[in-house]
Amino acid sequence: MNQAAPLLVLGGTVALLLAVIAVRRSAGLTAFVAGAGLLAALGVIPTAMHAVPVWAGLLDFGGGVFGFLALMIATATLLLIIAAEYWRRAARLPDQEYFLLLVIATLGACVLAASDSFISLFLGLETLTLAMIGMIAYARPRPESLEAGLKYLILSAMSSAFLLFGIGLLELATGSLSFAGVFAAPVNPVMAAGFAMMAIAVGFKLSVVPFHIWVPDVYAGAPAPSAAFLAVVPKIAVLAVLVRIAALPGAALPGAAVQTISVIAMLSMLAGNLLALQQQNVKRILGYSSIAHLGYLLVAILAAGALGRVAVVFYIVTYGLTMVAAFGVVAMLSNASAGRDAEMIADLRGLFWTRPLSAAVMTLALLSLAGIPPAIGFIAKMYIFAAGVHTDLWLLVGTMIASSVIGLFYYLSMIIAMTQKPVAEAAVVRLPAGGGLVLSVVSLAVFGFGVAPQPLITLVKVMFG
Amino acid sequence: MSLVLLLVIPLVGGCLAWPAERVSKKLPRVISLAALGLTLAIALPLLHGTANGWLADYNIPWIPTFGMRFHLGLDGMSWLLTVLTLILGMFAIIVSWRAPEEKIGFFHANLMWSLAGTVGVFLALDLFLFFYFWELMLVPMVFVIAIWGHENRRPAAIKFFLFTQGSGLLILIGILALAFLHQRATGVLSFDYFVLRQNIPGGTIGFLIMLGFFIAFVVKLAAFPVHVWLPLTHTEAPTAGSVILASILLKTGAYGLLRFVAPMFPAACHLLAPVALWLGVASIFYGAVLAYGQSDLKKLIAYTSISHMGFVLIGVFVFNALAWQGVVFLLIAHGVSTGALFIIVGSVQHRLHTRDLSRMGGLWTDLPKLSSFGTFFVLAAMGLPGLGNFVGEFLILRGAFGVAPVVTIAAAVGLIPAALYSLIAIQRAFHGPAAAPRAVPDFGFRETAMMLALAAAIIWLGVYPQPVLDAVAPSLTETAPGS
Repeated sequence: MNQAAPLLVLGGTVALLLAVIAVRRSAGLTAFVAGAGLLAALGVIPTAMHAVPVWAGLLDFGGGVFGFLALMIATATLLLIIAAEYWRRAARLPDQEYFLLLVIATLGACVLAASDSFISLFLGLETLTLAMIGMIAYARPRPESLEAGLKYLILSAMSSAFLLFGIGLLELATGSLSFAGVFAAPVNPVMAAGFAMMAIAVGFKLSVVPFHIWVPDVYAGAPAPSAAFLAVVPKIAVLAVLVRIAALPGAALPGAAVQTISVIAMLSMLAGNLLALQQQNVKRILGYSSIAHLGYLLVAILAAGALGRVAVVFYIVTYGLTMVAAFGVVAMLSNASAGRDAEMIADLRGLFWTRPLSAAVMTLALLSLAGIPPAIGFIAKMYIFAAGVHTDLWLLVGTMIASSVIGLFYYLSMIIAMTQKPVAEAAVVRLPAGGGLVLSVVSLAVFGFGVAPQPLITLVKVMFG
Repeated sequence: MSLVLLLVIPLVGGCLAWPAERVSKKLPRVISLAALGLTLAIALPLLHGTANGWLADYNIPWIPTFGMRFHLGLDGMSWLLTVLTLILGMFAIIVSWRAPEEKIGFFHANLMWSLAGTVGVFLALDLFLFFYFWELMLVPMVFVIAIWGHENRRPAAIKFFLFTQGSGLLILIGILALAFLHQRATGVLSFDYFVLRQNIPGGTIGFLIMLGFFIAFVVKLAAFPVHVWLPLTHTEAPTAGSVILASILLKTGAYGLLRFVAPMFPAACHLLAPVALWLGVASIFYGAVLAYGQSDLKKLIAYTSISHMGFVLIGVFVFNALAWQGVVFLLIAHGVSTGALFIIVGSVQHRLHTRDLSRMGGLWTDLPKLSSFGTFFVLAAMGLPGLGNFVGEFLILRGAFGVAPVVTIAAAVGLIPAALYSLIAIQRAFHGPAAAPRAVPDFGFRETAMMLALAAAIIWLGVYPQPVLDAVAPSLTETAPGS
């Protein structure tokens, strides 16, 4: 057993899945193997934490990486169950490869999160992105899905180009590809250009303003489980790298960078919430909402220090749980063989009457996104407020408040839509077992940690403190 | 421990009431009523308890990382308001015994959760916990309005939510700023009311923090000019919702001013006092004038709340024990009288399917019991001597006169438009010829019993106010500066 065991398990699962699909095309079997592989990867993490390091210089498992890995693999497992329920209803689509893509994407994200050099960073990122493109475009009968896949492909390629150019410039200036080597060197103009180019790629992956244009189209076009994956896993992976880089010696941000990030954070918070106001499509709204939430996260990143770091991780956990819940409900309401998902606010109408459990989960998720007790989002937002107030980031905190108030409006209009009477008398619909299980687990976490957050705070502190 | 029960029983009662609708339509109502009755039975004896200088006290760690504690405390003022909440909560359940019919379990769950949040607001002595409850009482109420409200429920729910939630964030920032400034000064991170009170920042920062609290509480109190959510919300809510909103939720704003703003920021409050006093006067007149102009009976009563809360605002910002006793007294009396009025309007609407005054008239002939109770409570709300509201308003004016005579005179003049809108409401609704022939039943046993109980309360408050004043006096002399 070595530290890379979770990655090895995931890689082994990919190989096994390929073999299984080649022998017998069965959706149930493939999903089962993929799920077992993800759970096994999750299961080896506690042992791997105390194992010997491997591939030093390429991968680094210190500084709470295992926490991020666990978070991403757990998210992927939950989304796998959601996806299995979702695709089962689309008889015409073969769904085995979707699970394969999902495991590959998770593997890529894990490599990215654990990377200690620009080589592994790029490898992980591309593995993740290529698998994601397949997941986004998977609903082939839907033109929007293909369009979304194509858009994501082109823009990802662009951002990868920027990233590669940036890496090249840094290597040119420092002669090193490892994080430690690059960030220890004194910054010169060539390096500054390299960092700027990398920042563009990071901005694209985090989908912050002004690199957010692709978000609404891709989120709306992608099938709901893919949109959920896209909203959560790549962002966790990129943030994991950022959190670790920020902890490196000599990685203190220069003033100009702090100002740039502040502006980006403010624009993201405001633009995300303002642009969501006019939308009628839930997936688009969640997309814009994710832009705003990444803006909030940048505030926590700027609030350096231990409080800020724990705030970042706590917020990531919250955001992941909440987004899985929200997209999970959309996925459970949708029919994969229909022309589109149940993604309009009009589709939510009357949900409290026809599907009370889904409506309750969605309400809890929306309250969490809006930052209202008793959902965990409230504690997470308070954490960022606290970090911001503590480090005197008054302008950012003020913007955060203002944009939160704007955000209340569209979260509330979705909740209100669910409370309205359905147009036609409809019978109560029960959730399928798997979807019900995932949504129950996630909403219990959202509610439970919203009432008693201390266990989660302690856990985060132990992993990342 | 019994303080925790005051929160847990309504919460659990709500959780039980939700699925109970599968058994029968009556069961959620019975469960809710029983839960509130049990809570009241626990709350009443607490008046004679003692714990750390308070009637009752409960203090355990909640989120130790931030020094947040689950700290509840009960003094005379919070005891009175808690009891008011529970009793009027029971009336809200009884008034909806027949209607609404749909999703009755979820309806009662929301009522119970909102009441639990309100009780939490009155008990919390950790500022963060206070804010938590402050938010918690809001969301269920939004559901009550949005699902079971009248025709304009959607904008009403949104407006209510945005105003109270948005202003609530100002409290959150204020609380965090207080806590971190305290930590910077002493090295200890705490959100405890008593700890933070020892180290209130002065100067601009202190004033800004105070202003954040002030705005949020005044929005909840619905004083001019941040009252705009109130008329629509109170009008569109179902009767039980209106009762809880007007009788209880408005009081949390006044409670916040009395418990937090005035004792914690005395210097900053004195700076703000002239503005606050004149805002109070403006509320009195604005509410009265707009009430006079309404043709919707429910909206008329909603506007009178704005007018009465103007007195509360004046009473708080003259900083003396007499006026503060008057404030608490008025909160109680207004809770009872306005609750009764909303119940009466609800009954009228249930019978005539309208709230429009022009389609009423002559109700006394057809509904003598309803009309006589209606007249009684309108007169009580107007401040007729011998009834509860008079005592509260008189104490406020008496306490204010020595501090701000001009404001007091202006506020007293505001009683004249109050008489005008009261009399016009009585005249248009109950007297004159009937707008349309109608054959509807008068108050039955359930409604008459409710009215008698509320009427007895308001008379008792009016003729023998001393026990209430005695209960509230210690908590105010403890917090009142220089009294």
